[in-house]
Amino acid sequence: MKIVVLMALAAFTAACVPVAPYQRAFLARDDMALDGNPGYMKAIEKTYSAKEAASGGAAVGGGGCGCN
Amino acid sequence: MRFALAALAILASIPAAAVEAGMPAPSLSMAPLEGGAPVTLAGLKGNVVYVDFWASWCVPCRLSMPTLEDLYQRNKARGFAVVGVNKDASASDARRFLARVPVSFALVQDGADAAARGFDVKAMPSGYLVDRKGVVRQVHRGFTAETGAALEKEIDSLLKEPS
Repeated sequence: MKIVVLMALAAFTAACVPVAPYQRAFLARDDMALDGNPGYMKAIEKTYSAKEAASGGAAVGGGGCGCN
Repeated sequence: MRFALAALAILASIPAAAVEAGMPAPSLSMAPLEGGAPVTLAGLKGNVVYVDFWASWCVPCRLSMPTLEDLYQRNKARGFAVVGVNKDASASDARRFLARVPVSFALVQDGADAAARGFDVKAMPSGYLVDRKGVVRQVHRGFTAETGAALEKEIDSLLKEPS
């Protein structure tokens, strides 16, 4: 019983440890950005949606004509 | 007994409450960035101290350093000290930044996060303005030009208080 209580306590207090603001040295690196170069990403998305007729997958409306 | 100890150990992993204005500054001993005697807030008692948590990867921290250096230079003769607690992952990152933006106030390292946890730092940068009696009087989270201007007034009024 005691062990169950301890395990529950451990799970609720220490299972999810958020990264503290002062521990974000690596997360703050340029190469950790989801979208490191917004202009380049936009061009890639446009080309992709035009070539693959797959517009919309990247949260952009319109058809696959490359004209949006 | 063992159960109580184990429960206590788990609960101790919950961070302490954030240090806010009006609370005494935590007593900490911090190793200087470039070696030497440890820096303690108790050792600086009688001075107005600004404890600044910064890192070279944090853009507003970078912007704050010249302002803090200027405030330090103009007020150090009146009993104002700055302790810059560096939160870079490696000291060489801090050194590379400091080579470009040199500062003359005390810089300490906090590799094990003891100081950051002691203050429960909620943002980068975080600055704690401690009065001559060792009580935190102002907490600045983030840094803009307005922070610098506000800090200048706060430092001036705290320096006029008796120790």
